[in-house]
Amino acid sequence: MVARVVTGLAAGSAYAIVAVGVVLIFKCSKVLSVAQGEIGAFGFFLGLRWADRGIPGVGWHISRFGTLVVAVVVGALIGLVLERFVIRPLVSRPPLDALIATLGIALFLALLEKEMFGTATQFAPSPVGQWKVEVLGATLTSSRVVAIFAVVVVAVAAWLFFSRTKFGLAVLGTTGDPTVARLLGVPVNRVYRFTWVVAGALSGLAAALLGSAFGGITPFDMTRLALSALAGAVIGGLDSIGGAIAGSLAIGVVEAVVGGAFDTAGTPAVAVLVLVVATLLLRPRGLFGTEGAA
Amino acid sequence: MRPSRALAVAAVAAAFVGSLLLGDVKLSILVGVVAVAIAALGLDLLVARAGELSLAHAALLGIGAFTTINAGDRGWPWPLAIGAGIAVTAAAATIAGLPSLRIRGLQVAITTLAFQVFAEAFLFSRDDVTAAGRTLDRPAMLEGDVQLFLFSVACLALVLLVRRRVGVTKSGRAFGAVRDVEARAVCFGIVPGSTKLLAYALSGAIVGLAGGVLAMKAGSISAKDPFLLLESLQLVAIVVVGGAGSAAGIVTAAVLVKALPQFYSTIPIVDLRADRVVPIVSAALLVLAIVAEPQGIGALYRAIGRVADRVLRPGGARAAPEPRPRFVDLAAATGHAGALRDVPRDLRLQMPVRALLETTEVRVQYGGIIAIENVSIEVRRGEIVGLIGANGAGKSTLFHAVSGLAPATGSIRYRGVELVGAPPSRRSALGVARTFQDMGLVRADTVRENVLLAQTWLAPTPAGVSILGLGTSVNEERELRRRADLALELFGLAHLADERLGDLPYGTMRTVEIASAVAAGPDLLLLDEATAGLGPDESHALGDRMLALRDVLGVTLVVIEHHVPVISRVCDYVYCLESGVQIAEGSPAHVIAQPQVVESFLGRTEAARGGVDR
Repeated sequence: MVARVVTGLAAGSAYAIVAVGVVLIFKCSKVLSVAQGEIGAFGFFLGLRWADRGIPGVGWHISRFGTLVVAVVVGALIGLVLERFVIRPLVSRPPLDALIATLGIALFLALLEKEMFGTATQFAPSPVGQWKVEVLGATLTSSRVVAIFAVVVVAVAAWLFFSRTKFGLAVLGTTGDPTVARLLGVPVNRVYRFTWVVAGALSGLAAALLGSAFGGITPFDMTRLALSALAGAVIGGLDSIGGAIAGSLAIGVVEAVVGGAFDTAGTPAVAVLVLVVATLLLRPRGLFGTEGAA
Repeated sequence: MRPSRALAVAAVAAAFVGSLLLGDVKLSILVGVVAVAIAALGLDLLVARAGELSLAHAALLGIGAFTTINAGDRGWPWPLAIGAGIAVTAAAATIAGLPSLRIRGLQVAITTLAFQVFAEAFLFSRDDVTAAGRTLDRPAMLEGDVQLFLFSVACLALVLLVRRRVGVTKSGRAFGAVRDVEARAVCFGIVPGSTKLLAYALSGAIVGLAGGVLAMKAGSISAKDPFLLLESLQLVAIVVVGGAGSAAGIVTAAVLVKALPQFYSTIPIVDLRADRVVPIVSAALLVLAIVAEPQGIGALYRAIGRVADRVLRPGGARAAPEPRPRFVDLAAATGHAGALRDVPRDLRLQMPVRALLETTEVRVQYGGIIAIENVSIEVRRGEIVGLIGANGAGKSTLFHAVSGLAPATGSIRYRGVELVGAPPSRRSALGVARTFQDMGLVRADTVRENVLLAQTWLAPTPAGVSILGLGTSVNEERELRRRADLALELFGLAHLADERLGDLPYGTMRTVEIASAVAAGPDLLLLDEATAGLGPDESHALGDRMLALRDVLGVTLVVIEHHVPVISRVCDYVYCLESGVQIAEGSPAHVIAQPQVVESFLGRTEAARGGVDR
């Protein structure tokens, strides 16, 4: 049981990294992105390809750690492009329009990955080597330790950013009313761009972690995993970064525990559905969200 | 047939025939395409009509298909098996839609996503659900591919018919009202919760039929690909690329996305594998269609149709709508007026009370904010009572309290009946109608549809029954249309009846709103800033109309007004509110002369300087 909880925390950590990106975007532009899984997956697959066959034209084979870097950088670049050409024109439109656009992006990236990289499960060796630790009776592989470590780093970085930097304050200022923020001198478009770039990078990080810690991923897998992240964000409150982390960890643990307790396939999905619907019905804004998350 | 629709039929038929002649295609593949088109039309009903996005429609398609096979394997006759698929899918869709009763928009989309994942991981991994090893024997009647194809097309035609019925009955109007003006729809006698669930159930039934068609085609289904999340997203893509609300566009999009890849293994000129490229292109098109303008192929058809109209019928084209409605003398239409007021009401209400409306110490509190307190007004039959005060004084809140949209304490008696605690629809039925400061109508619908919408409570047949055209619903609809046409004629709007409300000038929209309130035959009409945004001439004309409403139709009016000339001319009695409390009452001349009214209503500094620039 304890072992399952620890394993669940590791999976939840990867969800949480995606969820932080989702919340960052939602906080500022009220856009709910379901593409946050697939964005990073594309970078991850590209990094693996380059590690395997070398960078086209140059011929360099990048290292295991390089795969992670490529996933993060490519994820950030995709975020940059999407914000400028897809999301910005949609900000003032009904929220469902932007949601559908991100669905299209997820679909497009997944199909492109299938076409470019095939449908086989792709697995990356851990960027920090192979080793194991025993925690409370659970054996954690190095990749899972990295996942848990990464979410702690992300959480601390987010806290420092929002409490200690001027730009962090500007990002928070955009959350209420973009028009008011603009009048107060907040560079709103730069804030939007920033959130998408950071969320894209986080997506790449999560894809690299899941691709090495949990038996690899296939195209479209990440969208499914992103749903767990989305569920975590909804439960924690769509505009609360701490809430999203807590919610995602909870989803990870529930999936692991329920999956272990029942033989029937798919019971974790039942638990997630029940958890999401129950949370939204009892508290539409999520556990830690404010009025704006409802 | 409209040119745009003829064009769509021609395009789809050409695609089908062309593929059969050119490609190496079996007719049975097209059956699958038609099934997807039907499922997309079902999703569109939910998206375009009710404004709800479901990401679970591929799962629902699976539920329909598997149920049909399961029923068929147990020896049910095939029509019953398909019926079972429809019923079970409609029930599943209703369950998937339950969260929409409490949450909305993005969050509902998330819960449907969770439903899709749940169905994939849990339901479709169970052999008893997916009917593994079971087969549905195709009946002799549908044995051949041609018969099966004709059957699928017949199902498509049935779905188009249902969509049409939804468009012309109270169900479609109710969906639109819940989508655009949910909080106000209750005033028309619409129950938002059951309306939403009806939309989900109907959408599910259509998808269930699509699943039935797939089951008839395959007999047994082992691959679950058509029912996975990817396919749910592709259904959304088909609806958006085709153009939400446009059946012709959606069927075309379904054919393009689903049939093309199967017809051509390579695109001859560019040498690309179509089965791989088309889905990617359709996903890109989805993004493009949303970013550019969410109108899709349907808009393209309409544009071509308009050109065709002009070429085929020069001079016969419809005249552009007149920018301003003609002013009709209500007095000349006494007969019509009587017909509109002829609404059956509960006779117990005819109590000999002096005041038609009497509020006593009404108080409305939102959280920690007291919006109005101790408001006591009296409106006698046949009066026009004015309600004035600065912005935020609580005038509209008082209207909300009377019409049941705000939680009020105290007493609101209408014809001696206590309204506090009564649901809004009951107040409509008792004869209280109102307009809203920012229009409580559906801009995407036509003028006539909006006037019909306001009378929903006059037609007691449930919306679901009205789609089928059963029982008294046909007569009810006819009666509503008669009343709507009368009201439109009275207000000089008859020539605009089929125009989209949102296309009309602002002043005309306001007139439509008053006409729709009057069409419901009220005894008491609450007009919230009816002259706001109108020019002096239009305001004067509206003042005349208020007097005519009272003198000819016998409607008692309470009006929230800012135009002093209109107040002075039409009102018998005026109340002035400030910060939620009454500060003055009396004849218009008396109230407007009060120093505290001048200060509150016309502005403090201006009053102090002795200058008033309104």
